Amino acid sequence: MIIDASLPAVVQAYLRAVLVDRAHLLLLSFSLGWELRAAHGDAAFYGLDVDAPDGARALQDLFTGLPLDHDQDIPFVELANGRSAHVHLVADGPGFHVLLIDAEDARSQQRAQQQLVHEAVISGQAKSKAIGTLKDIRSELERQRASLEEANALKNALIATLSHEFRTPLTSIFGYLHLVERRARLDATSEQALQAVRRSATYLFTLAENLLEYGRGEAGGGLLNPVEIDLDALLRDIEAMFVPLAEAKGIRFRASLVREDPAPPRLDDVKLRQVVINLLSNAVRYTAHGEVVLALDWHTQQLRIEVRDSGIGIAPEFIGSVFKPFNRGGQAGSKGAGLGLSIVRRLVDQMHGTLALESEPGRGTCFRIELPSAIALAPSAGADDAALRGRRVLVVDDDPDIAQLLEVLLSDLGFDVRLLDDAEAALDGAMREAPDILLVDVELPGMSGNAVVYQLRAQGYGGAIVTLSANASTDARDASLRAGANYYLTKPLELERFVATMRRAIAQGAKEPT
Amino acid sequence: MATHKVCMLGDFGVGKTSLVARYVRSTFSDKYLTTVGVKVDSKEVVLADGGALKLVLWDIAGRSALDAPSANYLRGASALLLVADGTREGSLTSALKLLMQSRSSLPDAFAVLAVNKLDLVARWEVAPATLAELRRSLPVFETSALSGAGVEQAFAEIAARLHA
Repeated sequence: MIIDASLPAVVQAYLRAVLVDRAHLLLLSFSLGWELRAAHGDAAFYGLDVDAPDGARALQDLFTGLPLDHDQDIPFVELANGRSAHVHLVADGPGFHVLLIDAEDARSQQRAQQQLVHEAVISGQAKSKAIGTLKDIRSELERQRASLEEANALKNALIATLSHEFRTPLTSIFGYLHLVERRARLDATSEQALQAVRRSATYLFTLAENLLEYGRGEAGGGLLNPVEIDLDALLRDIEAMFVPLAEAKGIRFRASLVREDPAPPRLDDVKLRQVVINLLSNAVRYTAHGEVVLALDWHTQQLRIEVRDSGIGIAPEFIGSVFKPFNRGGQAGSKGAGLGLSIVRRLVDQMHGTLALESEPGRGTCFRIELPSAIALAPSAGADDAALRGRRVLVVDDDPDIAQLLEVLLSDLGFDVRLLDDAEAALDGAMREAPDILLVDVELPGMSGNAVVYQLRAQGYGGAIVTLSANASTDARDASLRAGANYYLTKPLELERFVATMRRAIAQGAKEPT
Repeated sequence: MATHKVCMLGDFGVGKTSLVARYVRSTFSDKYLTTVGVKVDSKEVVLADGGALKLVLWDIAGRSALDAPSANYLRGASALLLVADGTREGSLTSALKLLMQSRSSLPDAFAVLAVNKLDLVARWEVAPATLAELRRSLPVFETSALSGAGVEQAFAEIAARLHA
């Protein structure tokens, strides 16, 4: 019926195969009232049951609102069984025919292409939106940064001006004090008066120097000027400055020097003196009875400075905050601007040193500082960079953000980095790979980082180990070093210290714990 | 029972198919599958006055502008449900453009705007003031095919208007 009967039989058969069978042609003939009169083809193929009372309902819905006495063509109609068909309505006198031609293959192809395009457009829009948001955030940050820089520059200028204004008259005061003390014959009252003047002047001098250092800010203060340090001269100057102050308070001041390395240390002289003076000023200020002791120890290219007092001490809850600027909560009834220890911390960091503090309220405080000689630390920047390139670091941290940060930092330094996230894998990885540095988080879930370090050392592992912890206490540091770590770093990471430690770990391997 | 053809019109990915699935079958899938051609569903609606009608819903492949095949699908429609995605302001522009283009062939069709993806309202680009302004011209519903919010109301508005 559908193929012209006048055509040769073989052609009819061929056309039937191509046009009718392959297209799953379905022809349904209806009266105008949707009464089915005839059906040709496989209705079930399209999920239609034309023998059921309401079998053609879906088709009837499809032509809602459309005239049945005009030919209609609705391409790509998804039917109830999910197949797609081109649906045609052919008007025929008092009735009409509905013709369905399978379009599933064409639909599938079109859908696959369309899907790719749409998803690409949608993700492109999302990406543009995210980039826009990031740009906004960046602009806002830039604006805030500019505003902060302006405020900071103003502050620094003010502090620097004030500090220099302090310095000039103080130089004069010290000069004339010296003159008067040498020339005048003084009675007891005058001598006490002069001591009070010297004490106050020394305090003012330290304060002015600290303000100046603080005003320089991080960027300006980070540059080092290492020179050979005359330790004897340093000791003499310090004694000259603090012995009178200690005597005036009725406390002992002792200073000692142990020197094992014949060559003098190379350090920034100004920064070194600022560190010692600040620590001793604090010690003398907060000690009413007993003694203040300064011990210098120069060996294995490290200058160790210990400042110990028998003063009021620092309560444990304030230990963590004493190094913050303008913090005076640590020592009850304290005087001063609260800048001294924060500046000590900053200067020690700048000199790539370490700083430890032990204190007991009512018993006293002890600061221990270790400063590496500039020669030992960095022969030259180029050589150091070359030495790091290709060195292998095994990073063990369960926090993916920290691990990623470490990976970026280390990769930037030239290291070849591998990340692990648990203790068992660390044990296995370190023994098998023998990296140049094992950088391990102390607070790993399950087995701690210290336990990993201990077990590795117990198995004869000889490589350099750096532990990383959120615990900044001396106890935590000591525990990690006792377990076998060579270096201990605290979170949040201070970049300069981190880089210095990595360089040192490569230069010195696992030789000495710091 | 009176039967009315309602066409879903809007840009791709705005949630036309999801809105029909939510309204007709109370289902939702977060997997995006682009529509090719048209899918026809129907639902019988009982109105407040006891009357009933049947909505035949034409879920037409998403377009930002009306091309010839899409225009062909619109023939015989009594109402349009224009759909936009609140997180893509451009899709609202497309919906309004489609409305204007369809007016030439369907000058009397009742139109309702559904701004979809209310569940992602924190990421919406469409400003509330824009919808307030649009409400002066046509009924606007904030919808979520995911939660179902506003979906029943949008279709009910069409049914009520077609019944009147």
